[in-house]
Amino acid sequence: MRVLRLLAAALLAAALPGAAFAQDARRGADLAAHLCVNCHGADGRSQTQGVPSLAGQQTEFITLQLILFREGIRQVPAMTPFAANLPDRDIEDLAAFFASLPAGPPDDREPRDAARFAAGQALSGPRNCAVCHMPNYAGRNQVPRLTGQREDFLAQTLKDYRDGRRIGADPQMNGAVAGLSDADLIALAHYLAQHD
Amino acid sequence: MLRRTLAAGVFAALSALPAFAQQPAPVPGWAVGRPEGSTLAPHAPRLTVTPPDQVPVGSIRLPAGFQAELFAHGMPGVRTMVEGPNGTIFAGTRVIGRVYAISRNPDGTTRTRVIAQGLSQPNGLVMIGNSLYVLAVNRVLRYDNIEANLDNVPQPVDLTAAFGLPTEQDHGGNHHWKFATLGPDGRIYTNIGVNCNVCNTDREVFATLVSFNPDGSGRRIEARGVRNSVGMAHHPVTRELWATNHGRDWVGDDNPNDTLIRVRRAGEDHGFPYCVGNWADPQFNAGRNCSEFAQPAALLGPHVAALGMRFYTGTMFPEQYRNQIFIARRGSWNRARLSGYDVVVAHLDAQGNVTRLEEFMTGFRDDANQRFLDRPADVHVLRDGSLLVSGEQMGAIYRITYRR
Repeated sequence: MRVLRLLAAALLAAALPGAAFAQDARRGADLAAHLCVNCHGADGRSQTQGVPSLAGQQTEFITLQLILFREGIRQVPAMTPFAANLPDRDIEDLAAFFASLPAGPPDDREPRDAARFAAGQALSGPRNCAVCHMPNYAGRNQVPRLTGQREDFLAQTLKDYRDGRRIGADPQMNGAVAGLSDADLIALAHYLAQHD
Repeated sequence: MLRRTLAAGVFAALSALPAFAQQPAPVPGWAVGRPEGSTLAPHAPRLTVTPPDQVPVGSIRLPAGFQAELFAHGMPGVRTMVEGPNGTIFAGTRVIGRVYAISRNPDGTTRTRVIAQGLSQPNGLVMIGNSLYVLAVNRVLRYDNIEANLDNVPQPVDLTAAFGLPTEQDHGGNHHWKFATLGPDGRIYTNIGVNCNVCNTDREVFATLVSFNPDGSGRRIEARGVRNSVGMAHHPVTRELWATNHGRDWVGDDNPNDTLIRVRRAGEDHGFPYCVGNWADPQFNAGRNCSEFAQPAALLGPHVAALGMRFYTGTMFPEQYRNQIFIARRGSWNRARLSGYDVVVAHLDAQGNVTRLEEFMTGFRDDANQRFLDRPADVHVLRDGSLLVSGEQMGAIYRITYRR
């Protein structure tokens, strides 16, 4: 059944020769208003614990993750109903919309804790965070932006990678956080969340 | 650099033990040995549908007399291709986790279906009789009578346990996807890529080519020291196994080469991680003399990512292409300037020595702007003698024909 549904989506997309495929952020904004902003925030900055901010996120990262959700390769129950039937065009427009929003921290970002920040910073070098996410942590292409992200989401994501509950398009993050303690990951999340 | 890599290796070996914040982390597998400050990284995949008017078929350049056309499109991530007895093309993928079926309509157009999805890197496909085998990392699934059931795909027979291939975790996420081919002896041949960019590893497991009976029994090592092969085929006359092989990353723009290997004797050693041909690895040579290893049949270029290869067994192309090897080079990322993004032909003499490499299908690499239009991942000879080339980045399959 899912095969058929997907097929229909694929055929629909394929059957639109000459359709505007330039990403349409304005259309993405309309879609997001119905689908996304309740949890991810009207300005793309999530005020909801455990839900990531998407403002300023890399378009290719958002596109890839939505496809992984849709295909059932990345499984997050809260996302499943929203991604299940999403056509490529909607995905690309949503990605363009969120990428166009200015990144920034949530209103409830914790003040900097000097000790945790220092511990996270000390890990970031040896763990090579900046190699893929870039020295300013803005990410690139399929590698996500980390600046402005919610600390609780970062901490949970790092744990999921360490414990094998999350696997990306490739498993590089699983390797990058292997062997770190909960305290290490909490420090790393705090350090990264303090970047704008 | 050596010290850092060694440290990373030691750390990886100890990773079962509690880690200390000050210890160096395992560098991402693809980035071992990466020089400080380099901004090279793997190119992002494109997993959305590319409309046909954006597929760069018009950019393709071929020798005189050859033409390219768009055979099928709308299949994000399309890579490996096999053909069923009734002419259906089955195509595997990596990240998007799908297997496609492409059938031809009476009017010559094609119809595309998704016949499997949600799999982890289903890149290994083999057709045996009416059964399609899908190798998705360690999972092995057999879809019986598949061509009669394209609209209502039955549950596959799960042969995972019988094959006992290393899991994604065993590989540490490195080179765990499969290429597979059916040998003239009826066995399934596949790669077990190395579980790192470059490292000392269990050479009886990783960096091997292996073969199995179709039920998963009778595992045999066909070649050792093969870092990662994502394309192989048997010579139509000699029945020898030939394969493409990827060289390691981060030893500069011009080393080492990807190679074409010829397996003359089951089990022979092709040198990874010590050597590639007569090139000694600067970090992992371990004092070995490169002449003790099987030498490559051809050097295919550094970092070009040589993938699918097939012997041309058709009659449509001129006689000079008969039994020569068409090789898809998906294109480089670990190199300052792009290379590859084309299909080359390895021309052989009567003894099977490679006499030259011909750049056959070009036009996807834009040297002036350092960008690429598509990435050839596999080739397949159709029964009419035309050649299919899959373009992974655009989700398209091209068909190459020849008219005198």
